Amino acid sequence: MSLAGWPQSTAASAISQTRTFATVHREASVGFGIIILIAGFSWLGPQIWRPNPLAVSLTNSLLAPSASHPFGTDDVGRDVLARAMSAGQLDILAAIAVTAVGGLVGMTIGAIAGLRGGVTDGTSMRLMDSLLAFPPLILALAVSVALGAGTVSAALGITISTVPFYARLMRSEVLRVKALPYVEAAVASGGRPWRIVSRHILPHTWQVMAIQASSVVGYAVLTLAALGFVGLGVQVPTPEWGTMITAGLQYVLSGQWWMGVFPGVLLLMLVIGCNLVADGLGGGGVAGVMTGSTRGPIE
Amino acid sequence: MITLFIASVAVFIILRLLPADPARLILGPLASAAAIQHERIALGLNQPLDVQYFQYLTGFLHGNWGFDYGTGTPVLQEVITRLPASLELGFYAMLSAVVGAVVAAVASVGARSRVVDSVCRAVAFVGLGSPPFWIGLMALVLFAEYLHWLPGPVGRLGVGVSPPPTITHFYTWDALLAGQWGTFANAVEHLVLPALTLALAPFGYIFRLLRHSLLEVSDEDFLLVCQGKGLTRWQALIRHGVPNALLPALTAFGLLVAQLVAGSVLVEAVFNWPGVGQLVVNSVLAREYGVVEAFVILSALAFIVVNLIVDALYVVIDPRLRRPATI
Repeated sequence: MSLAGWPQSTAASAISQTRTFATVHREASVGFGIIILIAGFSWLGPQIWRPNPLAVSLTNSLLAPSASHPFGTDDVGRDVLARAMSAGQLDILAAIAVTAVGGLVGMTIGAIAGLRGGVTDGTSMRLMDSLLAFPPLILALAVSVALGAGTVSAALGITISTVPFYARLMRSEVLRVKALPYVEAAVASGGRPWRIVSRHILPHTWQVMAIQASSVVGYAVLTLAALGFVGLGVQVPTPEWGTMITAGLQYVLSGQWWMGVFPGVLLLMLVIGCNLVADGLGGGGVAGVMTGSTRGPIE
Repeated sequence: MITLFIASVAVFIILRLLPADPARLILGPLASAAAIQHERIALGLNQPLDVQYFQYLTGFLHGNWGFDYGTGTPVLQEVITRLPASLELGFYAMLSAVVGAVVAAVASVGARSRVVDSVCRAVAFVGLGSPPFWIGLMALVLFAEYLHWLPGPVGRLGVGVSPPPTITHFYTWDALLAGQWGTFANAVEHLVLPALTLALAPFGYIFRLLRHSLLEVSDEDFLLVCQGKGLTRWQALIRHGVPNALLPALTAFGLLVAQLVAGSVLVEAVFNWPGVGQLVVNSVLAREYGVVEAFVILSALAFIVVNLIVDALYVVIDPRLRRPATI
């Protein structure tokens, strides 16, 4: 431990801080580790493993896993490992984008509802409730059906289905923080409304929202894969874990199991990683997006 | 109620945003412009959106849920035909999820063994995080392909097995009622994998809830009193702890139904199960958006109804809630 005022190199302190974090939050660290592992697999993997995920080669179709094709090949001869890596990039990026955009929109709505109260609160929460009446997957399904199959419409659909969760959670957090004494003090000492909001209220909502965000990432990946499985979402030949599982399903009974199994393992690991992070950091959204914010966090 | 109204408006708006013209879809790509215009008028598409919405709503309430042009049957009829299959699947999935979760939670809390606890929590965790369609796939690979213990995805009964006389529309119950043991066994065989796959996510969720509330309850004094009166630790836990712990799980029932609805769409596709979920998937692929629209509204309806029932049940089950609040 260093004394206040004594300089310490930032690298060393970052490492020791990480180590402390890892020992205290063991579950979350394992989760982070898994996520980083899969991200590394998806982005660094193609640097090492060269085959083209889109290269069709009908003479090489349906080959079992081997040294030259560790995950085997699919029905038109594409290398499954390369496709899995490429799909990883797509799924992770899409999930992060969905989480971020949904989070921004949801948090804004929730914050405004919580801060304003009254009619604004009532109407926006009614709106959120009506969105929540649909099972999230079904809502995402409806939107992507309406806008035509494709990656963007699927992402939009999933984003819309996550907004009410963020909004409700943000609203309850804002209400909770608003009632704290020091906010009252800030108002009494004459702070300008915007300043109070940004400097006193919002910073205390970040932690809960971050937990919700991490479980939303897991949900987003799952739903994107599910939409791909159904035929909406990402279209072939773009690799995506869900569509790869669909393709694999057709061949599972004829014995070529590798097409569907590997993408699913990766998907499972990624979602478990996200849930571990959410669970380890506080457990607010741990039981999935569908539960944590509608009935309150389960401690 | 307002919520349902807004929800239906939202669905209507979303699905009417379709770039595809329903009239053209019905008549096919070779139809003339005049024919399409005629069809549009017949369908009421030339009227302003709010009129269309009103027409749809009144039609819905009268049982006109649209028409499936692919199969040539009204949507209402199709849903009713397929509903028993989904209900049977959902029923057994929910049953196994609840029973499994209760057993696992009691074992986890009562056994005082970190191993048991960790194993149960791990399974629940995987259940919550896994894509049901992939789990179904894995189950098929393992149990149908390699072990040949259970049949593959051929639907509710094996090939050549005829369904039992219809009383409840559940193949398992009907077979039992008719005394057809072979058919019963066959139906159960085909139910095992899909039901367990569908049950995995609800199991995870209920288990976590139950475990948490059981842990809280097991610290309560009244359990100690029970043991003082002569019950063993297990008896006290099961007979007195569990009912108290089940209450929070009840409130989650609505969410579980939502989970089952969403999950059944995926699981039915994997196992070729002739239920409503499969109908939705096929309709999406065939661009039969009327069916999808009806399904979305129905699932919202179901969710709201279940929540209303749960709220009412809550007051019935917990006597403490019947007395007016003293605070």
